[in-house]
This record gives sequence, structure tokens and C-alpha cells, in this order.
Amino acid sequence: MTRKTRRLWLVIICVACFGTAAALMLRAFSSDIVFFVTPSQLTQNAQPADRTVKLGGMVVANSVKREKHGDTPVSSFEVTDGQSAVTVNYEGVLPDLFREGQSVVAIGSMKNGIFIASEVLAKHDETYMPKEVAEALKKSGKWDPRFGPPPDAASWNSMTVKDAKKSLLPPPAPAAQ
Amino acid sequence: MFLHSVCETNKPLSASHSSASRLSSFFHRYANPGRFLRLGKVLQPWLTWPAIALTLTGLIWGLFFSPADWQQGDSVRIMYIHVPTAILASAGYAALALCSVLSLVWRHPLADLAAAEIGPVGACITALCLATGSLWGKPMWGAWWVWDARLTSVLILFFLYLGHITLIRAFDDQQRGYRAAAILAIAGAVDLPIIKFSVQWWNTLHQPDSITLTSAPTMSGSMLWPLALSMLGISLGFAAIVLARLRASVMESRIRSLLSNQRRHNGDLS
Amino acid sequence: MTHLPFIIASYGLFIALALYLSAGAALRLRTARLKLLSLEPAKPSSPGKKSVS
Repeated sequence: MTRKTRRLWLVIICVACFGTAAALMLRAFSSDIVFFVTPSQLTQNAQPADRTVKLGGMVVANSVKREKHGDTPVSSFEVTDGQSAVTVNYEGVLPDLFREGQSVVAIGSMKNGIFIASEVLAKHDETYMPKEVAEALKKSGKWDPRFGPPPDAASWNSMTVKDAKKSLLPPPAPAAQ
Repeated sequence: MFLHSVCETNKPLSASHSSASRLSSFFHRYANPGRFLRLGKVLQPWLTWPAIALTLTGLIWGLFFSPADWQQGDSVRIMYIHVPTAILASAGYAALALCSVLSLVWRHPLADLAAAEIGPVGACITALCLATGSLWGKPMWGAWWVWDARLTSVLILFFLYLGHITLIRAFDDQQRGYRAAAILAIAGAVDLPIIKFSVQWWNTLHQPDSITLTSAPTMSGSMLWPLALSMLGISLGFAAIVLARLRASVMESRIRSLLSNQRRHNGDLS
Repeated sequence: MTHLPFIIASYGLFIALALYLSAGAALRLRTARLKLLSLEPAKPSSPGKKSVS
């Protein structure tokens, strides 16, 4: 074995050892690395009332109620992961991306079965599409953004804005008299 | 004319070359500084001009002609900078780790110089990735910064770059600095798969990748094209800047050895 | 445009950094080349001739 191959093996063994150590550490701490807990995790494991948690999930369609107390907007909505839902109360301005069907992360704590949020973050998904394409998908009935993520990307990612606009036009009217 | 003068001297950059020169390895073909400078001079315009042209096309297309996103609006245009810099931050570090392996195992003298030049450029790109991410996060998520797995692992990458930059210049004995920095770079490469898979392994605020090898991109073609152009252009720009710095670095080490030869010569005379 | 300041800041940062890095690299290359030329003036290349004086 030449010195060069010995050094190569040394590097490989060091990387393997270091990688294993890092992987074990990340596994051990994985519950701390997650950014948020889901509603079902939150309802299963009762949290102490004063503990701050981050609750993540999808805003349930038709659950958003907005009011105004003086100058501060107050809102209430339900967050779900498909298995259970938690009601969230929040005092303050919601982010622009907040809507029904959007994923959000609320930071706060549980009080009497209701999640009192001190901060709400919007989590946008990995889909990027022009407004016209989204409109066309909605109009064709393939997708309602209030109920979840868009359909399979292959069905729309080659659609151009022109195609989408065409499909949005009203069907050609019968010839005027 | 200048190149001839450099090429005549076939002295390798490092003293440890004598054992390595026996290996007619591919990597060592360009350990000869003259040959590297000749190749670099030819390569430079082929990297620089396409980089400028593609980056400008991609960014102008992205900024003015690509459609706005249906929910993010015009803010999505930050993507045409953020995504290429994010990919380059990782790719640059991978290049740094590769140079470090070449340096530690094969004792390649150019690999040390390359690692020293990739470090600062990579750190700048990573800083830009973090800054544009922050500028994108504030209007969209509602926060400049969150401690989720993706953002934190990229911040760690930034500090790895900073550590490498410091360590490689920390020793009086340059070779020891190269050795120590190479070990740091290789150990830090563990962070690369963590960055890549953080959005799949843990739930994060950062969204998963839109472009994957296994399925159709979840991005409209009208946004994918400008993104692909700016990604290619910025990557070539990164390579062009690193090559220019590396060529300068090779010349500087040549200057140093010439000056010390002169000094020794003058010392002998007196 | 919505959120225009954020977009302008992103593109501005990118352009500033690109100019800084490329100008720095070009200047350094120029300085090194000129310095090397002054130390090691170009000679007619003849094989076997040592260039280090």
C-alpha cells in the first residue's frame, strides 16, 4: 500500500466516522429539529399550558373568522393535518399569504383547548404558477385552493399563460343578429 | 510573450512534488503552473462572457417578462437570485471539499491554492443566499428569520466557509494552514446532505424543492426557463471569478519565489 | 409591483456583490501580471535556457 492509498483510506474512514456520528446526533435530536408539531401530535400529548409550541397545518376551508377590536384585527381559524383540527385565536395582522387551504405555522400555547397564537407565519408550498394558470385550473374544476395542494404538476407545468387565458375566455358567443 | 517566460520554468509550486511527479495522474497534469496559466488564459473568456450573457438574460427575463406567481405575486422574482445562489453555496462547498481531498491525499499544490480562492467567493455567495432568503421570507412568511432545519443548516455552511477562510491563513507555516483547513472542509461536507434533505427529513417552514430528479417540476415552464438561464449564468460566473483569482494566485506565488530567489542572490553577493 | 423594495434590495445586493467580486478578481489578476512582467521580462523562448536569473 503506497502512502497515497493509505492517506485516501484514512480520509474515507474519517468521513465515514464523522458522518455516522452526525447522523446519530441528528436522529437523537430529531424531535427538537422539527420546526412545528401537527394538530394530532398536539392533541395526543397534552402540553403544559405555559409552554410555547409551534403548531403547523393547513387552514380549514370556511373556518376563518376575522373581527376588529378597535384597531387590532382579531382572527380565529382552524388548523388541521387531516386527522384532527385545533382552533387558533390570533390578535394581529395575518401575513399576506394567509388564506384558507394555506399551510401556516402558529407560535403560541394551548389554553382551555384553544391555541392562543402570538405569531402566525405562512408556509408557502413548492408550486410556482402564474395567476392565469391557477385561474384556469380552478375554473376547470381540477383544483380548489381552499381544500389543498394543486394537482399533479405534470398536468399544468407546461401550460403557458396564453393557453390559460384562452381557456378562461367565455365560449364564443353565437353570432350577433 | 509573458506566458512563454512562465512556461519555461517547469518548477512545481510545492516541494512535495517530487514523489507525486512519478504518478502520471490526470490531476497532476496541471500542477505545473505554466501549463495551468496557459490553460486558464484560454478558458477564461469562455467562462466570463457566457456567464455575463446568460445571467443578464435570465435576470432580465425573470424580472420583467416572467409571470408573477398566483399567490406570491411579484415577490417570486427574488427566486431567480435566491435559488441559484443557494445551489452554488452548496456546490461551491462541494468543490472546496473535493480540493481538500486532492490536497490531503494527492498533495496537489494547485488544489491548496484553489481551496484558498473558493472559500471567500463561496462565503459571499452563501451570504447573498441568506440575505435574499431573508428578503423573500419577510413579505411571504412574515418573518426575516426562523430557526428551521433548512435555514439553520445553511447558516452553519456560512460559518464553515468563514472558519475555512480563517484557518487557511492562520498558520505561519502555509502548508500546515492548508492541511488544517482541508480537514475542516472535509468534515464540514457532512452539512451538505443535511441541507439537501432537511426539507424532507424534518418539517420546516422552508418549502421542499420544486425541481427534483424523480418527478415533474412543480413550477410553471414560464418561470423555469429564466431560472435555468440565471442558474447556469451565475454558476459560470462563480467559476470565472474563481478561475481569475486562482490564476492571480498562481502568478503571486511565482512572484514570491522570484523575489526570494533575488534576495538570496543579493545576499550571497554581499 | 407588490413588495417592490424587497425585490429591488435583492437584485441590488446581487449586482453589488457580482461587481465587487469580479472587479476584485480582475484587478488582482492585472496587478499580478504586471508585477510578474517587471520581475521576469519576456525573453525569446529558447529550450534549455533557464529563466530564473
